[in-house]
Amino acid sequence: MALLSVLRGKRKEISKEDYYTASQMQLIWSRFKAKRSAMIAASILGFIVVCGIFSSFLSPYAPDASGRNADYVNGAPQIPQFCDANGCSLTPFIHKVERFRSVKTNFRWVTRETEERNYVTFFPKGWDYNFLGMKFERHLFGVEEGYLHLFGTDGGGKDIFSRTLHAIGVSLAVGTLGVLISFILALIIGSTAGFFGGFVDTVLQALMDTVKTVPTIPLFMALAAFIPQEWSAEMRFFFISMLLGTLGWGTLARRIRTHVLAERTAEYVTAARLCGASSAHVIRKHLLPSFTSYIIVDLVISFPYMVLSETALSFIGLGLKDPVNSLGVMLQNVTKVDVLLNYQWYFIPVPIFIAIVLAFVFVGDGLRDAADPYSERK
Amino acid sequence: MSAFLKFFTTRLGAAISTMLLVSFVVFSLMELVPGNCAERYLAYKDTQGVSVTDEDIRAEEVRMGLDKPYVVRWATWISDITFRGYWGESCLWRVDVLQLVGDKMAISMGLSLAALLLTYAISVPIGILSASLRDSWFDSSLRIFSYLGLALPNFLLALVVMLFSTIYFGETLTGLFSDEFRDAPWTMAKFTDMMSRAWLPIFILAWSATAIQMQTVRALVSDEKDKLYVTAARARGISGSYLLWHYPARHSLGPVINSIGYDLNRIFNDLPIVAAVLVLTDAGALLLDALAKSNDQQLAGAIILMMTAGIVGLNFITDILLAIVDPRIRKGFF
Repeated sequence: MALLSVLRGKRKEISKEDYYTASQMQLIWSRFKAKRSAMIAASILGFIVVCGIFSSFLSPYAPDASGRNADYVNGAPQIPQFCDANGCSLTPFIHKVERFRSVKTNFRWVTRETEERNYVTFFPKGWDYNFLGMKFERHLFGVEEGYLHLFGTDGGGKDIFSRTLHAIGVSLAVGTLGVLISFILALIIGSTAGFFGGFVDTVLQALMDTVKTVPTIPLFMALAAFIPQEWSAEMRFFFISMLLGTLGWGTLARRIRTHVLAERTAEYVTAARLCGASSAHVIRKHLLPSFTSYIIVDLVISFPYMVLSETALSFIGLGLKDPVNSLGVMLQNVTKVDVLLNYQWYFIPVPIFIAIVLAFVFVGDGLRDAADPYSERK
Repeated sequence: MSAFLKFFTTRLGAAISTMLLVSFVVFSLMELVPGNCAERYLAYKDTQGVSVTDEDIRAEEVRMGLDKPYVVRWATWISDITFRGYWGESCLWRVDVLQLVGDKMAISMGLSLAALLLTYAISVPIGILSASLRDSWFDSSLRIFSYLGLALPNFLLALVVMLFSTIYFGETLTGLFSDEFRDAPWTMAKFTDMMSRAWLPIFILAWSATAIQMQTVRALVSDEKDKLYVTAARARGISGSYLLWHYPARHSLGPVINSIGYDLNRIFNDLPIVAAVLVLTDAGALLLDALAKSNDQQLAGAIILMMTAGIVGLNFITDILLAIVDPRIRKGFF
């Protein structure tokens, strides 16, 4: 068996007994570990999640208007360097910038680099942020004086690096919340439809089919358009996550329904019933645990769809709004020719988000293969 | 034949009832918009210097039939659409919705169907080829492409294409018409002008659907490839591309045809956002406008219903097509 040899490769003395007594989760994990692409994707994903959680610590400036650098609007990325014309140093540095105007610039203010060095510092004090209910002010890095913008700044002078980190956090939060809501709905609707069958099943199926035929994004748009303008950014955030969750349960609910439908006549269910167990008890204690792994896999797979839907909604201005950062919000203004021609660093978050979605897809694929007992060939 | 007729009528009935249910959902959605059409229109007039009283609003509500109960209004709406082809009046513009949507819906449908055609023209042959060359470099590079199709949604692709075309060609490649044709009536010249610009939106709309469909075709053919009937055919001396195209490929066609409607759904999904990025003047952009800017529920509802009708209609056609292609379905085995 492929799996046995994998296990054996890890530890020499592993008996057949270990294989047959291993729990479902142990089996999935050992199969998952054997897949290199999935493991790489999982570590990238782990790194990104950590970035999202500690975004405030990692970002040198506040991602909203309070962290703006008015002297460096639409500024290019500043890459810390070790050497310049005056020699090298051990600590990385950037050059200071100054506002300047003269005959040469037609008397318009321009920002230009000076020869002066601005050294990067680590763990400096910066803007206050809350983490787990405590107040902190230390950040991973900064510069001695003024600002350091790794990814440049946007039209308001806000640091794109800090905004990107916060956007990752927000996207992950929206996805998690949306997935959780759709999971609960799918669980209730799917297991009800499957367990009771008959009329209930027919009605619920028709409902699922109808929701599936309407194109989702226009539906999202229609629902998101009802958000009153005066709602705060946080309220919008919760409402959008709720929307994504409420419309996203279809596929999982159908899966659960099919499974419950197939299992409800199984002997262990009949046995439980004869012992006097209630329907809810049978569903909760006997049917659902029999396919937890499938549910987890489905949730991971549906996660990137949630993130992408949120991005699309925010991009067209119907999703999250400014003080909250998300990829869609950050991309709102990039279709202007001015931006396309002169400020290409606005696009830096795009590859990062593609990496996140790809990581999710690979991990989901790996999990699906690992959870499928038939994927082990020979 | 009678089995086929029965199949036809049940499918037709299912399509119609789905449409009814969808129309109800869309109608309820539009009812949820705060404030009704009469209030919005008169509020607009208010800003123009005409003073409006509560009685005016009530009178306007009566004129528009907004005082009638919910279900009655839904029934009027849907029966007007089906029997008179009247889609109601736009809340903001006060003209027939059809007049506003007009050829924009035709453009949208044209773009989407062209994208759909492109999707299948690319994904079916390449998917089959990829399955027959399983685990080769061709197959694995295709896999990466498919993953990208998932991770890079259409509107992001459109943005990236715009970025590169602006940098390298100094042209954003947006819009559907050149300036001189924008408001001109339809002529052959306008059509050719549109076609010379439409290839990009068509390609972008087809992007994700192609990537996903390719994987589906590959998986379907891979599954069929090792089945006994293929081995049996091989034992009779059939080989090469004839074997591939006439046995496993033909067999996996059924589910592929079945998914056409679903792919149209996917394409419609992206339409408003791609339209926003590429400045297309089609129904997608109009829908976005109606929802994000003018809160025009009547117009938005009509467009969503038209799109869904397109999907349900296509689903029905593919069901019938499937029955014609596959005798097992025609004879009522399923």
